[in-house]
Amino acid sequence: MSARLRAAGNGARPAVEVRGLTKTYPGGIEAVRGVDFEVAPGEVFGLLGPNGAGKSTTIGMLTTTIKPSAGSARLAGFDVVRDPLAARSVSSVVFQEPVLDRALSGRRNLDLHARLWGIPPSAAARRIAELARSFGLSEVIGRPVDSLSGGQRRRLEIARALVSEPRVLFLDEPTVGLDTRIRYELLDLIGGLRGRTGMTTVLTTHYLDEAERLCDRIAVMHQGAIVALDRPAALLARLGTELVELRVEHDPAGALAAMRAHGLAAGDAFAVGSTLTIPARARPARDTIAALPGLGIHAEAVTTRQPTLDDVYLQLTGSRLAA
Amino acid sequence: MTAITTTVPAGITFTAPRPRRLATWATLARRRFMLSAHTPREVLAPLVTPLLFALVIAPALARMIPGGAGYSTFVIVGTVGLLIPLTCTFAGIGVIVDRTGGARRELLAAPIPRSLIVLGNMAVAIAVSLLQVAALIVAGWARGSHFHVAAAGIGWFLGAVLTFTVFMYAVAEILANRIPTQEEYVGLTPVVAILPWFLAGSLFPLTALPGWLAAVARILPTTHTLALLRYGVLGHGSTGLHDIWGIGSTTTAAALSLLVLAGWAALATAASIRVFKRSAVH
Repeated sequence: MSARLRAAGNGARPAVEVRGLTKTYPGGIEAVRGVDFEVAPGEVFGLLGPNGAGKSTTIGMLTTTIKPSAGSARLAGFDVVRDPLAARSVSSVVFQEPVLDRALSGRRNLDLHARLWGIPPSAAARRIAELARSFGLSEVIGRPVDSLSGGQRRRLEIARALVSEPRVLFLDEPTVGLDTRIRYELLDLIGGLRGRTGMTTVLTTHYLDEAERLCDRIAVMHQGAIVALDRPAALLARLGTELVELRVEHDPAGALAAMRAHGLAAGDAFAVGSTLTIPARARPARDTIAALPGLGIHAEAVTTRQPTLDDVYLQLTGSRLAA
Repeated sequence: MTAITTTVPAGITFTAPRPRRLATWATLARRRFMLSAHTPREVLAPLVTPLLFALVIAPALARMIPGGAGYSTFVIVGTVGLLIPLTCTFAGIGVIVDRTGGARRELLAAPIPRSLIVLGNMAVAIAVSLLQVAALIVAGWARGSHFHVAAAGIGWFLGAVLTFTVFMYAVAEILANRIPTQEEYVGLTPVVAILPWFLAGSLFPLTALPGWLAAVARILPTTHTLALLRYGVLGHGSTGLHDIWGIGSTTTAAALSLLVLAGWAALATAASIRVFKRSAVH
């Protein structure tokens, strides 16, 4: 481990502490607008949002490759602006795009990481062998990275990040661009990381299933701000257990207003285009559907289903995650 | 959802490791070396140009001049002023590859001073330049060139090679971090690496240039380098230092030229580190 442990007597502290973190690019573009969150040691924390929501900029500031405009962030107690070397020594990153020396072998890439993070050679060799075995890379780790498949490269990058046994692991959109089979294999692999002693994981994604499957808590980001932060189950519970979804081609906003006026929809119902989404809380979905003709609402299509995180996101932001 | 499985025990915190600058610099230089020379072809290719100049081009040019054996040696030493800029400029392509498809972001996320990334790359440019210069001089000697070998002269020669390589690599690093594409960067190579060589007294003395161009040439690092190199291995017969400074003491002129080169090298290195950091962190 690159960071030496010492008893300090100041109690356990969050692995990641973010206060009012802001990034404004030249020209006044606000990529991240004063976000606050804490991540406990050992927790898997997700930043969920579509492209442009500010997730990668937040990770960039936490990994000291983007300079914050305001606010503060600490990794294992180290301020990322005032003490960047220390902050980097307790963290590792798996970037959204492949970031490997492709002419070198997989082993050389891992060994380089170990040396830069100050891991003694004997410990590094042992860890690399262990990681190669547990990530199914033993047979290919001696080959140039250029000759590896996309999935193997991704596993190699995750293995590399773990060589230094980081206190905080950042995974920035780790499954983007991978085919479905490899993506699910990788999700299994990432899910298996949570057993590593004390390691905190901060994951960004715009895949709902990834966030729901891997994360203990999720911060939903929209236009540079966190609009909700909770456990996945708690976020889903905001919309109850059942939704009624209507497609109303003629005046959907008027239809929603009429349903609200007659108590068929509450404040958390929302309309996006011609689709109305009504959480069915106070009354069964079938009663809501049955009352529609009486209000003069003609729905082209009616469905009932369980809420998803996409519905939560849609309700919070008015746009779909996959947009 | 799976419960959180582990926590850091209460009362435990972390202290940052002390930076291991020398070991880190060596690691980064080793990485750059592995990337630059991971096949025999990449090791041998840099030797082709110096060997070609020493064995073919310089003797061929000398044949055009009556009694031109000394001119061959003059050109061979002058070739150093071409080899180093070319080597350093091409080394800069590695910086662009790192940025566009390599491991630069991994290096930026490492707990190391970022200036060492530049200095690690520079170490390999220096090593390759020294190898090329050695090949050039040995091949020139084997082909019949006569060098004046003395400890002080070798000192001036090596001082010029090292400071000029540092300067040229720093310039390459600045350009590689400022220019977005490899194509645009390669397009600048003739301007950066070759044009100053023609003006700096590589093939003819400064006095053969028009007055205003000679004045420009006197401030070029390449000019000081070539004058020092020739003073180092051709002895007092070379007139380059006198052509620059116009003073009687050649040793003083050599010291002044080395000081100028060291100044350029220090300035360019500081600028290259600054440009790298600014391009790397938004």
